Amino acid sequence: MLNYTLRRLMAVIPTILILIVFCFFLMRLAPGGPFTSERPLPPAVMKNVLERYGLDEPLYVQLWTYLKNIILHFDFGPSFSQKDRTVNDLIAQGFPVTLTYGFFSALFVLALGVPLGVIAALRHNSFWDYVMTGLAIFSQIFPNFVLAPIMVLLFTLSWGLLPGGGWNGGQWPYVIMPAVALGTSYMASVARLTRGSLLETLSAGYIRTARAKGLPERTVLIRHALKPALLPVISYMGPVFVYMITGSVFIDIFFSTGGIGQNFIDAAYTRDYAVILGLAILYSVLTFALLLIVDLIYAWIDPKIRSGL
Amino acid sequence: MRQTTKLALALSLTTALTTAAFAAEVPAGTNLAEDQTYTYRLLDESSSLDPQLVEDTDGSGIVRDLFEGLYNQDGQGNRAPGVALSHEVSDDNMTYTFTLRKDAKWSDGTPVTAGDFVYAWKRAVTPELASPYAWYMELMSIKNGAEIIAGDKTPDELGVSAPDDHTFVVQLSQPLPYFADMVAHATTFPAPKWVIDAHGNEWTLPENIVGNGAYVLTEHVLKERSVRERNPMYWDNDNTVLEKVVALVIGDDAQGLTRYRANELDKTDIPAGQYPALKEELPDEAIAVPRLCNYYFSYNLDSGPEAFQDVRVRKALALALDREVIVNQVLQGGQFPAYNFTPAATAGFDVPEIDYAAMTQQERDAKAMELMAEAGYGKGGEPLAFTYLYNTSEAHQQVAIVATQMWKQKLGVDVTLENQEWKVFLENRGNQNFEMARGAWCGDYNEASTFLDLLVSSSGYNDAKYNNARVDELMAKAKSSKEAGPLYTEVEQILAEEMPVIPVYHYSANMMLKSNVKGWPVENVQQKYYSKDMYKVAE
Repeated sequence: MLNYTLRRLMAVIPTILILIVFCFFLMRLAPGGPFTSERPLPPAVMKNVLERYGLDEPLYVQLWTYLKNIILHFDFGPSFSQKDRTVNDLIAQGFPVTLTYGFFSALFVLALGVPLGVIAALRHNSFWDYVMTGLAIFSQIFPNFVLAPIMVLLFTLSWGLLPGGGWNGGQWPYVIMPAVALGTSYMASVARLTRGSLLETLSAGYIRTARAKGLPERTVLIRHALKPALLPVISYMGPVFVYMITGSVFIDIFFSTGGIGQNFIDAAYTRDYAVILGLAILYSVLTFALLLIVDLIYAWIDPKIRSGL
Repeated sequence: MRQTTKLALALSLTTALTTAAFAAEVPAGTNLAEDQTYTYRLLDESSSLDPQLVEDTDGSGIVRDLFEGLYNQDGQGNRAPGVALSHEVSDDNMTYTFTLRKDAKWSDGTPVTAGDFVYAWKRAVTPELASPYAWYMELMSIKNGAEIIAGDKTPDELGVSAPDDHTFVVQLSQPLPYFADMVAHATTFPAPKWVIDAHGNEWTLPENIVGNGAYVLTEHVLKERSVRERNPMYWDNDNTVLEKVVALVIGDDAQGLTRYRANELDKTDIPAGQYPALKEELPDEAIAVPRLCNYYFSYNLDSGPEAFQDVRVRKALALALDREVIVNQVLQGGQFPAYNFTPAATAGFDVPEIDYAAMTQQERDAKAMELMAEAGYGKGGEPLAFTYLYNTSEAHQQVAIVATQMWKQKLGVDVTLENQEWKVFLENRGNQNFEMARGAWCGDYNEASTFLDLLVSSSGYNDAKYNNARVDELMAKAKSSKEAGPLYTEVEQILAEEMPVIPVYHYSANMMLKSNVKGWPVENVQQKYYSKDMYKVAE
C-alpha cells in the first residue's frame, strides 16, 4: 500500500505541472489584463507597472520565473489587485476560513445524513422513511443560494439569533449559517445514498448468514452492513469535501466570510494572474490529496480493493 | 438645477484657511451615544492601504483616516487645514509654499515634517514603485514629474523640497489654478520612510503600519474586515469623537441591506432600483445626493458607422432620448438628467445654456425626427442599424433597452445590444472596437476639467476619438486661466452642437445611513468622508 501511495504521489507532480502550463496560457487568452482599467494608464505608467511585475517579459520567461519561485522559495507571486499582499498571504488568510466552515459543513452532512439514511433504511417504507425521503428531496431542491437568504431572513432579521454574515475570527455564531447552507443539499444526497446502499447491503447473502449465526442485530448492522454500505458515501464525499473547503464561491460572497472562494471570482474578474494560478494549484493539490485519502479509506474498508493495490 | 456650494478657485497670493470645519462639530448639549463605533459596508477589499498605491475610492476612504495630507475637505468639499495650515503662491503661479503645523505627529510619536511629504511625493513617481496612480502626480504638473515617471530623470529631481521641517515647497511645470485642491488626494499623503525601509511591502500590515491620521489600523482581515481605532498621537485627537471604525467587506448589495436592517451596519449602499421604496419606508435613513460622475453614450467617430459622421444623426439620437424616463422610471435613485457633460454639482461650474436642455421632450422628438429625415436615415430613409456595447450589469442593460426602444419607436433606428464582461469591454472600447458604447466618468478632483479633458483629442480616455481643435485650445487655455468658467461654457456649447457623446445622466450616491450617525458629509459631492468629523448621538 505504501508503494501504491508513493506511485500516486509521483503522478501528481507532472499532472500539476501540466495544469500550471495550461492555466498560465489559458488566462492570458482572456482579453484585458490586470491593469486594464476604466482609466487607461498612461503608457509610461503602464510600462513601469508591467516591469515591476515582470509582465513585460516574454511569456515563457514569465512561466519559468513563476515555476522557479514556487520550487525554490514556495513563493506564488504578488497579487496585482491587493497591492500590499502576496498570493501566499491571500491563501494563508482565506483558506483557514473556508477550511473551517467546510469542515463543519462536512461534519454536519455526515452527522445528519448518515443517521437519517440508516433510519430510513431500517424503517423501510414506514412513516419515518417517508419523512426522511421527503426531507431529503426538500433539501436537495433548495440550492444554497435559495436557502442562505431564507436562513438570513429567519435567523438574522426575524429572530435576531445569528449574525447575517462576516467571520469575526471564526466565532461559532458566524460559522453556523455558512456551514449549514453549504451542506444541506449534500446532507440530503448522503442520506439518500446511505439509505439505498444500506438497503442493498441488508438484502445481501452474508447479512443473512450473519443473522443466521445468531449475531445481535446491532453487530450485524454496524460491523457487517454499515461498513460496506458507506463505500458509495465515501467516494461521494471525497470530491464534495474538496468543493466544500475550496470553491464555495456563493457562500463566501453571500456571507462575506473572507474565505478563499471569493478570491476565485475576484481574481478572474481582475485578471489577477498569480492569484488565479495559485488557487488553481491549491485546488488541484487538494483534489489529488483527498481523492488519494478516499482511495486509502476504501482500501481500509474493503479487503477486496486492498489486495488489488 | 441644484446649486451646491461653489468653491472659489480663484488664486490669491496668500490663502489662509479660516474655516472651522476640521473636527467633529458636536453642537453643545448633544447627548452622545455611549458606543462610538461606526460600522459601514465596503463593496470590495481595498486595493492597498499604502497612500501612494491605493487606487479605489473605498480604499482611499480608509487611507484618509490613517494618514493626513496637506489639506482635508470639510463637509461641503471645501479645503480645510490638514498638516498644512496655509500656503503661498508665487507671482508666476508656479511655486507653492505650504506652511505645516508644528504639532502633527506620526502614530509612533515621531513629528510629521515636510521631509515626509518630500519622500512620499518622490515615492509616488518612482518607476520602481510603479504606482498606477503616478498619473495623478503627472496631472498635478509637478516639475519633472512626467520625466521621472518616464525614466528620463531621477526621483530626486522632482520639484519638491523642504527648506525646513515645517515648510514644503512645490514647483510646477505650468500654472494649475486648482492645484491646492488636489492635495487632499491620498496619493499626496506623507509616508513614513523609516517604517517602509524596515518592513518593505508589508509596512501596511496592522502590526507594522505607522500613520499620521486620526486613526490607526488595528485589524485587517482581507476581504472580510478592517478596523481602525483612535490615534492618541493625532494633533486633533481631543476633538475626535468616534472611537472605532469598522469596515466590513460585503459583496452583495441585498445582503448589505439585510445586515443594515439587522443593525450590524450603520451605513450601506442601496441596491439598484430600491431607493424609492426605502425612502418611503425609512425617510430619515435613505439618502440620495449628487455624485461627481456622468453617464454617457459614446459614438465611435473613428471607425464606427458612416452615419455617425453626420452631426444631424448624432444630434437626433441625443434629442430623442427621454432622460426623464431613464432617470425617473428606470433608475429611480435620484439621478439627474444630463444635457451636458460636466455634472452641475461640480465646483465653480455653471451649467451653460444648452438649447435642447430647455425644450420639452415633445419638441426634442420633433426636432430629432426632422434632423434624421434631413440626414436621410431612419423612417423613410436609409435604414440605420448599429450595435450598442455595454459592460454586463442589470442597470446598464435596463438603460440600454429603454434608450434603444426610444430610438426604434421615434426614429426607426435598429440597435443591437451587446454586453461584455468588464475587462473585455474595456479592451474593446479602448481600441475603438465598437460602434456605440457606454461611458461613465467620475471626477478625480472637483473641477470641470476633470470631465472635459476627456474630450480633448490627445486624451487617452477619449473613446469617441473626438477631435476638435477649438476644444483642445480652450482646454489648454483653461489649465492656466484664472477664470476658466467661460472657457468651459464654450466647450460645453461646442459639445452640444457636435454631440460626440450623448450625455445621459449625472450620478447620485444612494445610501442608507442610520439617523444617529452625524457628520457624514452628504453635501460633499465627492463623498470624501473623514471619520474624525463624525459622531453618534444617543437615540
